[in-house]
Amino acid sequence: MSRSVCASAIRNWHRLVLVWRRGQLYRDLAEELEVHRSLKEREYELAGFPPENIVELAEREMGNITLAKEESRDMWRFLSLERLAQDVRYAVRMFARTPVFTSVAVLSLALGIGGNAAMFSLVNTLLIRPLPYFEPGRLVRIGGVYPRAALLFFQQHARTMDVAAVSPGSEFNLTGQGEAIRVVGSYASANFFSVLSAPVARGRSFEPGDDTPGRDGVVILSDALWKTKFGSDPSIVGRAILLNGVHREVVGIMPPSFSFLSSRVQAWVPMRLDPSNFLEYWASEFVPLVGRLRAGASTGQAQGEVQRLVAQFRGTFPYPMARDWNADAGAIPLQQDLMGDIRGRLIILLSAVCMVLLVACANIASLLLSRATTRRKEIALRAALGAGRARIARQLLTESVLLALVGGGSGILLGMVALSIFKSLLPPSTPGLAHASIDWQVVGAVAGLALLTGLGFGIAPALSASQTSLTEAIKTGSQRSTATIWNRFRTWLIAGEIALTVILVVSAGLLIKSLYSLSTAKTGFNPGRILTIRISPNQSACAQRAACVAVYDRIVERARSLSGVVDAAVINSIPLDGELPMLAVDVEDHPKDAAHPSPMFWFGAISPAYLRVMHIPLLRGRAFSRSDGEKAARVLMISESTGRHFWPGQNPIGKHIKSADERQWRTVVGVVGDVRQYSLSKALPAWVPGAVYMPYAQSARQDGQIPAAMTLLVKTAVDSAHLEKEILKLARDQNPNVPVGPVRQLDQIVSGSISDFRSTIRVFITFAGAALLLAAIGIYGLMSYWVTQRTYEIGVRVAIGASRQRVVSAVLAQGLRVSLWGIAGGVLAALAVTRFLASLLYGIGATDPFTFAVVTAFVLGVAVAATTFPAWRAARIDPAKSLRVD
Amino acid sequence: MGERLKQPEILPGTLDLLILRTLQSAAMHGYGIAQRLKQVSDDVLQVGESSLYPALQRLLLNGWVKAEWGASENNRRARYYTLTTAGRKQLAAEREEFARVIGAIHKVLEMA
Repeated sequence: MSRSVCASAIRNWHRLVLVWRRGQLYRDLAEELEVHRSLKEREYELAGFPPENIVELAEREMGNITLAKEESRDMWRFLSLERLAQDVRYAVRMFARTPVFTSVAVLSLALGIGGNAAMFSLVNTLLIRPLPYFEPGRLVRIGGVYPRAALLFFQQHARTMDVAAVSPGSEFNLTGQGEAIRVVGSYASANFFSVLSAPVARGRSFEPGDDTPGRDGVVILSDALWKTKFGSDPSIVGRAILLNGVHREVVGIMPPSFSFLSSRVQAWVPMRLDPSNFLEYWASEFVPLVGRLRAGASTGQAQGEVQRLVAQFRGTFPYPMARDWNADAGAIPLQQDLMGDIRGRLIILLSAVCMVLLVACANIASLLLSRATTRRKEIALRAALGAGRARIARQLLTESVLLALVGGGSGILLGMVALSIFKSLLPPSTPGLAHASIDWQVVGAVAGLALLTGLGFGIAPALSASQTSLTEAIKTGSQRSTATIWNRFRTWLIAGEIALTVILVVSAGLLIKSLYSLSTAKTGFNPGRILTIRISPNQSACAQRAACVAVYDRIVERARSLSGVVDAAVINSIPLDGELPMLAVDVEDHPKDAAHPSPMFWFGAISPAYLRVMHIPLLRGRAFSRSDGEKAARVLMISESTGRHFWPGQNPIGKHIKSADERQWRTVVGVVGDVRQYSLSKALPAWVPGAVYMPYAQSARQDGQIPAAMTLLVKTAVDSAHLEKEILKLARDQNPNVPVGPVRQLDQIVSGSISDFRSTIRVFITFAGAALLLAAIGIYGLMSYWVTQRTYEIGVRVAIGASRQRVVSAVLAQGLRVSLWGIAGGVLAALAVTRFLASLLYGIGATDPFTFAVVTAFVLGVAVAATTFPAWRAARIDPAKSLRVD
Repeated sequence: MGERLKQPEILPGTLDLLILRTLQSAAMHGYGIAQRLKQVSDDVLQVGESSLYPALQRLLLNGWVKAEWGASENNRRARYYTLTTAGRKQLAAEREEFARVIGAIHKVLEMA
């Protein structure tokens, strides 16, 4: 073995050395053979042959000199390499001569490979690649949210796992470090970082005891916050910073790679466990629990344990809890939980892009199939001239590989672009999103699939030409050689392609209609020409209720006095910005018990002008006025659907509602129109049955305090940029230590609330469009080929009297038959699969007949259009010419 | 082509060996090699030029022989092939292998 390798190395070395002396070698060989001949002639001469026969005899004896020369010369060449170069040159020439075929094939490959590479890479990063924590497979999320008291309970009773808690994050005021800012902080249990096994980069992690009252004045910063706000100063560890007006010592800094639950969170403070603080311990914020499975425990065991513990814990609440509270809670893998929302969308997009890949493959297959069958004559001719099957196969292989390389190369480029677009469409705080990059394994797999398709369909039919009778193939020529099996197969391919396209286009149609319904959905308010700015003092600033009321009164008055401002108001939370202030309430006529605990209401604290500024209609009773002050009779307004839900058929004016922790009832004085607070598709989540408004001066959160952070809304007369600056200045002027958010336009907040949805749909439409384009090309190619094949037949028909019209309708009918099969299949399939889109649809059924009808007509129209050109060409066939071709 | 007399086939793969062996004693040109083979084998082995010259090129390529132009017996330029050291080694190896195979074939033919 090594010997032959060595010998081959020597041979190649000699070839290499002699490359530039090849001419000399060839001349030597020629001369040598000449010498040989003369010696031979002399030999015959000596043997006494007649001189006139000698030359001929020698010639004959020498045999096939040319072949000998050829063979000898070939010895000296890098044959395989040179043949490859020759094949490539030939392939490039072939492609250059058929630019339409080439560009369509490359485009199909690029679309298929690019889209899939990007989408699969993203899905792999976000859904499949393990979380960047130690043994991520053992991390679980306990379903539901729990009061802090549950943490202790679970920690004491859970056997299958170690339990930690971390809040999703809320805003804190960071003051005393230059301009006051809002940072997002999470409350984390003292064991949180150790359960995750996430070490700090500097300082120390939380320790047991950090969660006890009085010792919880510590904070751990994210790397991003440390860099941006503290200039990467290592000495910050051990120093105190002011968060929400409370001094906390920075004990640690996390590494840049760490984020939990999302990269939005910039700081972690200990989750204080203080049973004496009833509200904090039992009621105010319910938090998610995470756990790490102990050695030997399975997710299944954890699941059972969680259900048992939830049932036990439910009974320990100091206030009545619903009997079915968290009844369906279980333990699910953390990764699955983290990707909850995105998961569905990614999977839908992934399925779509897979369909595009299939369509692209079908297209490539069909293109190569037709090309290969039209090349049967050429191939047969080559075979007749002595090319071996292997040689022909190698030529075809070279062409396919070349095509795949070019298509795959552009596909990878396209994939990179597509990936960055897809990434920009997802919420930037998605864990791991920044690390998503093109996955080469994925690229390889997808490219391999496309290549195999190309090889399979490009080579097999062509080779079958060299197999069948050569003379037959050459005689009949390309025009009438009908490789029926391949043709039928090709028809099926195109029909399948059309079916897939119909599924995609129907889905896109449903989504577009949903988007349209959403963007024209009644929000319940008019967001036009409203500027908003968030003003968020520390809660301690509102210890004196009157002080805060006065501050906001002043701000509203000053805003009103600006020129160009029509009206101004404040509210604790504007619609559709992601925040949902909640209040557990008691409702008159609806006594609470264990089965029906206090319902959660959306709760708005507003200044009197709010309804006016927002154009929210007052349907009954009266709106708030300045006289509904702190000391006045306590009043509230409810939304229309709240009234309908709790007092159907009755007039809600005069009924009573109060916060669950209050003694005194508040009286309903007005009913206003419903507002989409939560999302454009839903006024409020299903578990929030009502919405109440309170006059700001009288308002109270669950803890009885007046909301400190408010949003100022300013209705302007015209779109005026200078007002934004003045409003920002006005908000800042109040107190430099109060963080103020940027000025935002309300209509942009509204449209921004569906930007994720919109961009998902855009991507989907792109996929559907690509599929449609490919399918149109496919059917066009099929029919062109059909016409080319039947040029002779059509010529005969025209010659014996068929009208142009008949020819056109024959071609159209043929095209329609394929399209109709495809469309019928596609509609049936779509009926079965569009229900998976249900989570994305709004105001429309998954099998909306109108959409189905329109899309069917549309795809049919495209198919007919694609068939028209070949039909037109068929009609122009001149029988005199077509009959003379062969 | 069909007119040509059928020549006895040389056992496949042995041409190289025969050429190497012929060159062992002296340098020779292509015609000489063919003549010598014919002569020694009592006209049994007749090597056609169409296989001789490719074979010689192959041997050159492998570095088993080298070629030099010199004067032939009738004072014409001719290309003389000589065995290289590697060629001698190759000849020894191939002879051994050949003897082994022939011996084996012989045994089979002579079996009872």
